[in-house]
Amino acid sequence: MVTSRPWLHGFLDLCLLAMLGERSDYGYGLSQRLAAAGVADVPGGTLYPALLRLEQQGLVEPHWAASGSGPRRKYYALTAAGHTALAEQGADWRRFRDGIDALVGTPVEGSAR
Amino acid sequence: MSPDPDDDGWPARFEAELVRLGQHPARARALAQESVDQAVEAGSDADRLLGPPHLYARHLVSELNDVPAPPGVGGPPAPGRVLLRLADVGKRYRRRVVLAGVDLTVRAGEVAAVVGANGCGKSTLLRICAGLTRPTSGTVERTRRVGLVPQDGGTAPWLTAAEHFTLFGAAAGLAPRRARSTGEHLAARLSWRPAAGQPAQDLSGGTRQKLNLVLGELHSPDLLLLDEPYQGFDQGTYLDFWRQVVAWRDAGRGVVVVTHLLHDLRHVDQVLDLGSRPGARVAAVAR
Amino acid sequence: MTAVVVAGLTLREVARRRAVMVLLVGMPLAFYLARRDLPGQSTRMLTLGIGWAVATLTLFVVNAQRGVDPRLRLAGASVTALVGGRLLAMTAAGTGLAAAFWGMVAVLQDVRRPWAIGPLMLVSVLVGVPFGSLVGALLPRELEGALALLTVVAVQMLAHPEGLLAEVMPFWSARELGNYAIDATAVGDLWKALAHAGVTWTLATGATLALFARRLQVAQYPEP
Repeated sequence: MVTSRPWLHGFLDLCLLAMLGERSDYGYGLSQRLAAAGVADVPGGTLYPALLRLEQQGLVEPHWAASGSGPRRKYYALTAAGHTALAEQGADWRRFRDGIDALVGTPVEGSAR
Repeated sequence: MSPDPDDDGWPARFEAELVRLGQHPARARALAQESVDQAVEAGSDADRLLGPPHLYARHLVSELNDVPAPPGVGGPPAPGRVLLRLADVGKRYRRRVVLAGVDLTVRAGEVAAVVGANGCGKSTLLRICAGLTRPTSGTVERTRRVGLVPQDGGTAPWLTAAEHFTLFGAAAGLAPRRARSTGEHLAARLSWRPAAGQPAQDLSGGTRQKLNLVLGELHSPDLLLLDEPYQGFDQGTYLDFWRQVVAWRDAGRGVVVVTHLLHDLRHVDQVLDLGSRPGARVAAVAR
Repeated sequence: MTAVVVAGLTLREVARRRAVMVLLVGMPLAFYLARRDLPGQSTRMLTLGIGWAVATLTLFVVNAQRGVDPRLRLAGASVTALVGGRLLAMTAAGTGLAAAFWGMVAVLQDVRRPWAIGPLMLVSVLVGVPFGSLVGALLPRELEGALALLTVVAVQMLAHPEGLLAEVMPFWSARELGNYAIDATAVGDLWKALAHAGVTWTLATGATLALFARRLQVAQYPEP
């Protein structure tokens, strides 16, 4: 339940920033979007600390809004610093991904048959 | 106010553990309330969603202290100057060869793990690195500022943690008050708030190891020598320990860890395998 | 100064061990009470008990701190500060003990030179501390060390006072001073006693420092 998969660590922050860049959301909503995108089924014990960490770093800021049923929800939105971080980290990720793609994606020559 | 039957005291225990780990009480209360809300919005209860309160509290605190580097970006700074160099080091007692032909170079910003079965000289090697024993062959060059975290027995059972800070600080020339505040600051980085008036022998195994770690670095050494520090560690303490090793590495220190528990090579830059027999020719340094 | 910090913390450490404190006071007292009927003999026994208790305490303190010594050396402490601090602490504790017992004897007993009882006990302490630390330096295990101390004290008590064996024993000075204080013997005894105590103290302290200097040697490697 509280297992944190290390490979997910750096990726998770980037995903959260990206999703929040699209639109503000609350914790459970973000976790549903992650699952829908096929990234991973991120447990609450990993997601919420990550959001708190981003808040601590000043990349997201919270605001509370009433929900239809139940208690008020804590919504997160990107700050200006968050937008900058998203742009930088997104660029780094694309560079990294393209590099891996180049190595892995190319079919091996001469072994087609 | 009737307690929520689903949560069964989870928020209270969570809050208490956060305070114990050094969080401000008001913040702990806010975090506890938030966690409960998170559980509700996920349609579950806190225990099922987040796990046992004391474990989640540790996890949360260490996550908040941690800043993971995004993949593909930078990484730790490039290793710097040489802090330790062993060249063809050997140790023998009368007829018994304990070590032979050991080569090891550790630079600033590097972590070196020394592995091998029991009895093959790991602790002796560490003592040679520390300078408590001289090698019988080979040469050793080492930076002057070094800290040692021994396997056990490196503390005074009847003194409290604060008194240890004073003692070790005095050895390094620190005034008592500054030594104590430094010690407490270093302890907080390990999610530990030393209780006043509690002698070291009353500390749990994991907490005493934390005391050991703090005492090893109290005088700001460049090189840290650790001898199998995680006997009696629980999972959380083990993670805290490696987080500290990585922090040391990222701060530009050199770390040598003697262990036979190495299953996480992620944070280690080189591995020195002393082999399975005492005196066996030292095997390759592998990555 | 490091030695002062070491001394202070050593005293605190010892004060926390209630059983030790009880024995420290109780043992000499038991010696005294065993021969309470004879004023001279009981005071002599008390003095010997003080010396033995202080020596044993120092032995245990020296052994208990072996674990931290290498680390303190690496942090920058000198052997003199570490060993000196402990000796200082134990001497201070012993002096307090001696002062208290001096008061007790002065009130309860009738001796010829009551003012000399204080120095008598102090001499016992001053000899006991470095002697205990020397035994601790030589015998790293508490049991062996305690047995060695026991042997020495027993011999001291049982050996013929005029014989060579008694003279060689570390607490001989206390015995001679005892003669001076209790039986009002000649002043020559006082000087002999003080000289013996001085020599014993110097030899024991010097040997302790030398032994620990060798054991706690930290190699000075060149910088890479």
